[in-house]
Amino acid sequence: MIRPVLARRERVVPATQAAGFVLGVVVALILGAILLWVSDHSPAEVYERMFDSAFKGTDSLSRTLERATPLALTGLSVAVAGSMGLWNIGAEGQMMAGAIVATGVAMMADGLSGPLLIALMMVSGVVGGMALMIGPALARSHLRVSEIITTLMLVYVAIRVVEWLETGPWKDPESFGFAVIEPVPEQAALPGLFGRANIGMLIALGLLLVFWLAVSRTAWGYELRLAGSSPDTARYAGVSLRRKVLTALLLSGGIAGLAGAVQLTGSAARLESGLSNGYGFAGIIVAALALMRPSGVAVVAFVFGAVQVGGQSIQTLGVSSAIADILQAMILFGALVAVVFFNYRIQWSGPGGGSSIAESGEPDLAGEVA
Amino acid sequence: MASTDADYAVWLRGIEKQFPGVIACAGADLWVRPGTIHALLGENGAGKTTMVSVLSGVYRPDGGEVWVNGQRRFFQSPADAIAAGVGMVYQEFRLVPTLTVAENIVLGAAPGLLRSAEIEERVAELSAAYGMAADPTRPVWQLSMGERQRVEILKALWRNASVLVMDEPTAVLTPGEAAELGLTLKAMAEDGRSIIYISHKLDQVVAFCDEATVLRQGKTVATVDDLDDVDLSSLAEMMVGSSGGGYVQRPPALEAGPEVLALQGISALNDRGLPALADINMTIHSGEIVGIVGVSGNGQKELAEVVTGLRQPSQGRVTFKEQDVTEASPADRYRLGLAYVPEDRIGVGLAPKMSVVDNAVVRSYRSQRRGLMLVMAKCVQFCQDLVERFGVRAGRLHDPVAGLSGGNLQRLLLGRELAEQPAVLVAAQPTRGLDVQGVAAIQSHLADQRADGVGILLISEDLDELLALSDRLLVMFEGRVVAEYGPDVTPRTVIGEAMAGQVRA
Repeated sequence: MIRPVLARRERVVPATQAAGFVLGVVVALILGAILLWVSDHSPAEVYERMFDSAFKGTDSLSRTLERATPLALTGLSVAVAGSMGLWNIGAEGQMMAGAIVATGVAMMADGLSGPLLIALMMVSGVVGGMALMIGPALARSHLRVSEIITTLMLVYVAIRVVEWLETGPWKDPESFGFAVIEPVPEQAALPGLFGRANIGMLIALGLLLVFWLAVSRTAWGYELRLAGSSPDTARYAGVSLRRKVLTALLLSGGIAGLAGAVQLTGSAARLESGLSNGYGFAGIIVAALALMRPSGVAVVAFVFGAVQVGGQSIQTLGVSSAIADILQAMILFGALVAVVFFNYRIQWSGPGGGSSIAESGEPDLAGEVA
Repeated sequence: MASTDADYAVWLRGIEKQFPGVIACAGADLWVRPGTIHALLGENGAGKTTMVSVLSGVYRPDGGEVWVNGQRRFFQSPADAIAAGVGMVYQEFRLVPTLTVAENIVLGAAPGLLRSAEIEERVAELSAAYGMAADPTRPVWQLSMGERQRVEILKALWRNASVLVMDEPTAVLTPGEAAELGLTLKAMAEDGRSIIYISHKLDQVVAFCDEATVLRQGKTVATVDDLDDVDLSSLAEMMVGSSGGGYVQRPPALEAGPEVLALQGISALNDRGLPALADINMTIHSGEIVGIVGVSGNGQKELAEVVTGLRQPSQGRVTFKEQDVTEASPADRYRLGLAYVPEDRIGVGLAPKMSVVDNAVVRSYRSQRRGLMLVMAKCVQFCQDLVERFGVRAGRLHDPVAGLSGGNLQRLLLGRELAEQPAVLVAAQPTRGLDVQGVAAIQSHLADQRADGVGILLISEDLDELLALSDRLLVMFEGRVVAEYGPDVTPRTVIGEAMAGQVRA
């Protein structure tokens, strides 16, 4: 009758968290090695290539950082909503909305100098992301319509709008018949830092810092944390839940929109339907792995970026893209399982005694696993 | 007792169960004979839900034994309990609205590959056997609450439940449906099944049930072998009866101070939108403790919420310090000097996952600001002062508050509410679930506050506590104040009758 149950940890020790994270990834790498071995590749060689391509030398590192930048922004976007117990599944669409508005502004104001134009495009990105979020946010705060559904649906709307702009009103007349939008003005390209990294990375880092401060050190952040962790207590303390839901969702949309503008001016040449490239959806994983904390988002986005760069590079060794994708997924999955053990431990339970996950009554990550 | 242990359908022996900060069961017993309808009585927090959750495999007890039909059981999950013949009908139904009645009933317990027509036929037979009209082909979303409950009962019967637990089954029913339920339960009992019936509605308990167990503070305090032998008022008295719960000497009578809080003609609805308060008039003067007593669910919770601003009354006026505050928010009322220790100290009063410091400043964080920033040093200082003044053993102030014991949680909460010298304190169940020292500490704080001129509205289910502390005692029944007693000792039987709605002229 003895069997394992997940028991909630009384205290969460940061050192255990880090160890759990590493262990989860290591287990995934071992399983991945078996997969590679079975499919006739040398695990050592593949892992070495993965590591080198993501970290070795400034060029490799810059590729990782280039990937990590939009991931950090969309991760933060999802985390801001997540700290209120809300799920913004549509960062992908808000990225697009941000990029659309930023492109529109660039078309109208292409005579401006670089810094001014870039600043204007960043603000437009935020506005675009927020605009796409207004509907879901109001529906959620006033009518309790699930934001999960509405934000997700609008992703496809945003992408279709880009496709329409590509083939219709914004089609580049000098594109020799290709359905593309004209590139953003040259002076709007984000200044590079080193290799492929650009100042978009600093924007993301700065924003993470601002949010970390705002959440942990301001009265506004206190109210947000209170409303997110115990809504009835917040009501009792006189915090308007409605307003908090609205601001958290709008900010979330705005940050994702900013990610779109950063991507547009940083790595992409022009607005196109593939601009968001899955970063918005990946942001959900980043935020979940980061336990919705801004500090965690930075670390996870970096690791996630490295895994993506590494996963791409090993295809040059003849590893098929399917195997590369499985490998990436396994590493993330290993980390995700590790997150469960941050908050829960296995308890071998015999007759009587012990409290199980079912009793904690908290809709946690682990709740779905159990 | 004539029967041996093996004859019981259910025997829960010495059940102990503790949650962070709360002792839910402290060695409670429950015996249920086969073929009887057994009422499980007790106030909120007395341990009823924990007991049946142990029986249905949702919780594993910290101590004690579970016996079902003469066999000791170690349930690891609700599935184990179902397999052993324990069925549970929750207050919130667990049905899939888009599936049909028959589909819901067999969900997870379909006997291999049966054609749906065959299943529907068998479901129809089952429902006819117990006089429950239920069309097996209808989707559940089309059904009334009463019909949905029948589906839940049929679900348990389909799984061959010999013991059926019903948690507040009539709360969602119309009076007609409730009467039908009574007949169904009787038919099931005649068939040899046992029913455990949890309810606060004593008249229904007496009408439906054969025997009863009364829980108080996690222990079994009374068993009634034949409910025909007792009347409503003695049942009510058993539920709130003596706990030895008054640990402080009644403070000397004071000159009544000025009136600080008044309710005029207050009516309000509960969360279900049904009338919960009807035409309440009451006043509280500074330096007096007004006790509210009643069987739970008679409007006490709604009363506290209307006074503190968490619930809008449908009618009437709340006056605080000669100001109309009927429309004022909870935070505004607090700023005016109306403090509140809510019944749900975790989840309403305190945010369990946040730190001790964060919880200490729930009321005062607005005054710990500099510009936009929250000055952490000031918050910590404020918390430190509270902890020292009210003797909270808090461990590390930046750890989640959920790690504190129940008594310390309540000291922190009470301390926070008293930190800025309120004029009125509303305290709902302030000592429930606390250990002896905790109870004594909280009670003496209340007495001290009264001496300092605070007007206190004390809502409690502990009659001893109320008798020890209150200057006036108001009895609530079905949302009304039905009786008021002075500070002289009123016989418990008289109070018990008033709680059952029978007021002596």
